[in-house]
Amino acid sequence: MSPSALEPTAGSAPATGTGLGVAPQPMMTVRNVERHFEGMRAVDGVSIDILPGRITGLIGPNGAGKSTLLAVLAGTLPASGGTVTFDGTDITEWPAWRRARHGMIRTFQLPSEFAELTVLENLLVAAPNHRGESLRGALLGRRYWIADERREVARARELLARFSLSAKESEYAGSLSGGQKRLIEIMRALMLQPRLLLLDEPMSGVHPSIIGEIARYLEGLRDGGLTILIVEHELHMIERLCNPVIVMAQGKVIGQGSMIELRRQREIVDAYLVG
Amino acid sequence: MTYYLTTLGVYAGVDIIACLALNLQFGVSGIVNFSFIVFQAAGAYTAAVLALPPDSQNGGFQHYVFGAQLPFPIPWIAAAVVGGVLSVPVGLVVLRHLRVDYQAIAMLVLSVIANLVITNARPFLNGAAGLSLVPQPLSDRFNAYSPTYLWAYVAVTFVCCALVFFVSQRIVKSPYGRTLRAMREHELAVTALGKNPVVLKMTIFVVGGVIAGLSGAILVGFITIWAPSTWLYPETLILFAAVIVGGRGNNWGALFGAALVPVGFEEATRYLPQFGPPGLVPALQWVAIGLLIIGFLWFRPKGVLPEKPGRFAAATPVVGARLTKEPGVS
Ligand SMILES: Nc1ncnc2c1ncn2[C@@H]1O[C@H](COP(=O)(O)OP(=O)(O)OP(=O)(O)O)[C@@H](O)[C@H]1O
Ligand SMILES: [Mg+2]
Repeated sequence: MSPSALEPTAGSAPATGTGLGVAPQPMMTVRNVERHFEGMRAVDGVSIDILPGRITGLIGPNGAGKSTLLAVLAGTLPASGGTVTFDGTDITEWPAWRRARHGMIRTFQLPSEFAELTVLENLLVAAPNHRGESLRGALLGRRYWIADERREVARARELLARFSLSAKESEYAGSLSGGQKRLIEIMRALMLQPRLLLLDEPMSGVHPSIIGEIARYLEGLRDGGLTILIVEHELHMIERLCNPVIVMAQGKVIGQGSMIELRRQREIVDAYLVG
Repeated sequence: MTYYLTTLGVYAGVDIIACLALNLQFGVSGIVNFSFIVFQAAGAYTAAVLALPPDSQNGGFQHYVFGAQLPFPIPWIAAAVVGGVLSVPVGLVVLRHLRVDYQAIAMLVLSVIANLVITNARPFLNGAAGLSLVPQPLSDRFNAYSPTYLWAYVAVTFVCCALVFFVSQRIVKSPYGRTLRAMREHELAVTALGKNPVVLKMTIFVVGGVIAGLSGAILVGFITIWAPSTWLYPETLILFAAVIVGGRGNNWGALFGAALVPVGFEEATRYLPQFGPPGLVPALQWVAIGLLIIGFLWFRPKGVLPEKPGRFAAATPVVGARLTKEPGVS
């Protein structure tokens, strides 16, 4: 199954998977990034590379600083120190909306649906470059933007069908179940055709059959060239999807590599991969 | 009787215009603009001093700046412009960095301070006594006290209402309006989807300021007086009550709320027999407004006419078929 019209526009090469030969230029480089909350170091000097065309996993115990790191990468929290570069450009000072327009889209661990908008409207809000989305476009009237609206409605419905939510399109997003809200979140991000997708526990509370659907879909997107960073506690999914996997504890990166490599490291197993 | 009815008509029109503007800011976008009345006042003062002759000409009994004696549409247009321009610094200071609850407090404080400043700075806009003898629009050509003039004024007011309603509907039913509603629901999520929240808030805040300024000009052109006592901060609360009762986010709701609360409510209570010590009836009015707000927020938070979700034509099962109806908010 190919995600057809929802394919990311970026034409980066698909993952080679071999790891041999010339190492690909990282899409995002993170150097000594810190984030403090009143003296508490939630993220404490993290340096990682996010390679293009791969699904990178980010795991670690509760409170390790995974969500905080993801927020700093997406710009929804400013960094207390360090640098973040994207495609070779220093974006440390960029606000979140500017990063999003350059293709870095995040989802939230906690539900962040637009409760008093319908499911379909939730997806449409995410539509990029909509002519009707400026004050000027609004004042010019429906005829000015209706073509864009039709296009985006079709795209949104395609996504809804894929995640089996078509029947809910006219319901308020606030009335959905927790798992359905997760899906809204993911679909909203996909509406933007991101280049780097930052997912914070996208599968928590989602039914196993839909988890499989999400996983297949993410693999399809990866094979189409999309780069993904995913925070997840569900290790089977991490094992299936992610290479490399980064392990965090107490704000620091304590290891990275494939899941098989990580399982061989005593201290990482002790810290997190119990069993 | 004509005078009473036309006065009621103009007040109704002005309240409708104001409620539509507040609905765009608060109902649709979630901006708690507790200083709304300041922008109406800015428009009223602007229109007044641009229509009035220089203050030396009327015996110096009132002092004000400008006194430009400009002909009709100019004071109204300038009032709208000033309402919008004033929104820029206020919006940039209040809406950019403060949390929503602090925004509300800052707006309220701004409203109180602005009123105190104008009250005490007499040479600027004649202080507490306010401006009077503001010339009615085109009063040099028509008898401004004839019934025809009064009714024509009501008609012009309602034309302005219709215009503002049209603009508000275009905004609310557009993708721009949808993004504003999304921002009201979850600002951080909208930001993470690539929308600049400062741009969203500032544009709608300025639009609201322009409309508020216009509403002030319409009112002062009819009642011919304007003073700090006409724009005390509780006036804003009445408009909030109207928007909440009518239905946040729904322009029809704003219209209905304006007809019900500021117009109907104040008119209805005006004829209550005086009882108790002086000042009791007005005080009870405020109690009633407060109860109205709390009651609706408690029992019917979406108001009488709740916001309507976007409706979209059903997807046609045939692949590639055109949508049968235009999608859009209904
Ligand atoms: N806004 C905040 N203010 C203060 N402290 C915070 C804030 N956000 C996170 N923290 C602290 O930072 C630390 C890391 O939190 P974070 O949410 O990044 O952990 P996490 O790895 O995502 O955990 P989980 O797996 O439970 O989601 C925690 O100790 C948390 O208490
Ligand atoms: Mg987390």
